[in-house]
Amino acid sequence: MPRLFAQRNAKFPVVLLSLLVVLALSGGVFAQDAAPVALRMTAWDVATTPYWQALIDAYEAQNPNVTVELTDLASADYQDVVNIMLSGGDTTDIITVKDIPGYSAMLTRGQIIPLTDLIEAADLDLSVYSGAAEELTYEGEIYALPFRSDIWILYYNKDIFDAAGIDYPTNDMTWDEFDALARQLTSGSGADKVYGGHFHVWRSTVQLATVQDGENTIIAEDYSFLAPMYNMVTGLQADGMIMDYGELRTGSIHYSGVFKNAQVAMLPMGSWFIATLIAAENAGEFDFDWGVAAYPHPEGVAAGTTAGTLTSLAINANSANQEAAWDFIQFYTGPEGAQVLAETGNLPAIRTPEVLATFAALDGVPEEAAEALQTTTVRLELPMHPRVGAIEQVLNEEHELIMTNSISVEEGIAEINRRIAELGEE
Amino acid sequence: MSTVSLRQTTIAAGKRRSHFKKYLVAYSFILPNLIGFAIFTLVPMVFSLALSFMNWDGANQISWAGLDNFRRLLTDETFGISLRNTLFFVSGNVPLTMMASLGLALLLNQPLRGRNLFRTTFFFPYVASLVAVAVVWNMLFFPSAGPVNQVLISLGVQNPPRWAASVDWAMPTVIMASVWKGMGYYMIIYLAALQSIPSTLYEAAAVDGANGWQKFRHITLPMLTPATFFISVMLIISSFKIFDLIMVMTGGGPGRATNVLVIHIYNTAFREFRFGYSSSIAMVLLVMVLGITIVQFYMERRWVKYQ
Repeated sequence: MPRLFAQRNAKFPVVLLSLLVVLALSGGVFAQDAAPVALRMTAWDVATTPYWQALIDAYEAQNPNVTVELTDLASADYQDVVNIMLSGGDTTDIITVKDIPGYSAMLTRGQIIPLTDLIEAADLDLSVYSGAAEELTYEGEIYALPFRSDIWILYYNKDIFDAAGIDYPTNDMTWDEFDALARQLTSGSGADKVYGGHFHVWRSTVQLATVQDGENTIIAEDYSFLAPMYNMVTGLQADGMIMDYGELRTGSIHYSGVFKNAQVAMLPMGSWFIATLIAAENAGEFDFDWGVAAYPHPEGVAAGTTAGTLTSLAINANSANQEAAWDFIQFYTGPEGAQVLAETGNLPAIRTPEVLATFAALDGVPEEAAEALQTTTVRLELPMHPRVGAIEQVLNEEHELIMTNSISVEEGIAEINRRIAELGEE
Repeated sequence: MSTVSLRQTTIAAGKRRSHFKKYLVAYSFILPNLIGFAIFTLVPMVFSLALSFMNWDGANQISWAGLDNFRRLLTDETFGISLRNTLFFVSGNVPLTMMASLGLALLLNQPLRGRNLFRTTFFFPYVASLVAVAVVWNMLFFPSAGPVNQVLISLGVQNPPRWAASVDWAMPTVIMASVWKGMGYYMIIYLAALQSIPSTLYEAAAVDGANGWQKFRHITLPMLTPATFFISVMLIISSFKIFDLIMVMTGGGPGRATNVLVIHIYNTAFREFRFGYSSSIAMVLLVMVLGITIVQFYMERRWVKYQ
């Protein structure tokens, strides 16, 4: 060593310094010294949802001592399975929060830990989530950070519109106009029939539109505000303008199939469907032009008002690696994670201009998307409530009865009012 | 004298030892199953019994509830509906499955050509995956374009039932699927019983000039009563426990039209996190099934004829 200095090699200190800087910046030299950490995380439909692994790969590249393993669950009963896992003392570190009922169930039962102190310590700015963080705050504490935020939009088949010689839907369309348009676009019969609209079997496809005005929420005392939307949808169904609910239900018919088969002209659905459609188009599953427009809105409500869902990450109270899990969550829900998520064709909860630009520039994203995804107000599908699970059960059952014409819209709403009031008495 | 008694004692002790050894072998064979039963059935059952007198959300502190949970049952509308639905399912599924399996067994006990093929065919639904069966039945009974309704329409039926999509027909549809799936298994039991009836009885009856119906009525049916007893006990228990087929076919709907007790237990426990209350429903189900089974065993000697 002394010989090196003796040689007065002027380059040596510079090389050494820059080497140190590079190593420090990459973080690799320190991370490699850290003990290996193995994290586990719950997820759904891993095989058909590319972003889970993409985000993990990005994180692992930066943190070579950490491995994250996904526990793959079926989407339809994800929350049921997670509830059973957590009740049994499962130690999976990171719990993906799929919806608000699941979130409130887990936090009221102390199964996920409050993140408020960690957020303060890390000095995170929650305003980047444009209001989503407030929706997740319960009694002053926040228990999960959102990474994905989907909004409801309208998908349409351009070829069907062109064939009918009708203008594409605009970003400012009322539900009444949607109703009229759906009736105009329905044609044919039997196997060749094209339906003007499509309402998937979920309760939310009908009920979301009833809370767009912000005057009511799905947890209420008087549900008469549901009537106009149910009257419209059951009317469309009775006249054969949309597919029959009972058949969709018993046939387990998925909305993606009917849209890809060009059986429907307009489909109100969440923005997660964009990525699915791009992948299907690239795989050659269909070849027609499709577009997106803003979610229709009730008369008197500003255009661009829509409903949304949040997908968030929480830390299991039983996790042995809470610190490592928190580091992972910060990456996943932060700007870097948002960039990776946008590249997979999904809408991150952080909507910076760069992220939206990345999303809009993706191959296959329709040109209208940039404008259709501009929202004025986003309402959450379901607000926080301790009995939200039981309330949702009632709403689901009565939705099914109304949609199968087992009872009239008025009877259904009367039943909902009566049963929700009884829940409150318990 | 003393040597004799000594020898006798030794022999007796040896016998006891060998008895003990014999039982030890038997117990060692039962043990693995017994351990499994204790861990996975007995302990949870006792826990569930205790839980039915408590309130628990699966995570927070357990608190004592006394008889509150059982009192709540009286006013729980969904409990009443699911109890009625369960009884409907049992009263449809049990007699229909028994009749179908007996009918098949009688037919396939005849010297038919390709008899083994038919036996395998009718047994097949029992081994088929339940989810697949449920999906196929829903497709067969698809309201508009399903094969069943196509046939009905071509036969001139104006408004065929909407099957699983209608409140009135959902339960009958589920019962049909359940009968179809279960009949093969019970057919095998009836077939075994039919083949153990001594042919001498039929020969004697033929000599006495009995006709087919008389032979069936006075020989076959009485000789089958042990099998019928076994089948009715097993079938009633499994019908009260129905869950999987309904969960996949209708999810308890439309509305609550096929919501049975076990679905209500599941929803209360894992969707509403009221483990105490759901345990009390489970206890009611247990007591009901136990009561019916005890009555069946009590009635057994009145109608079951052993050779």
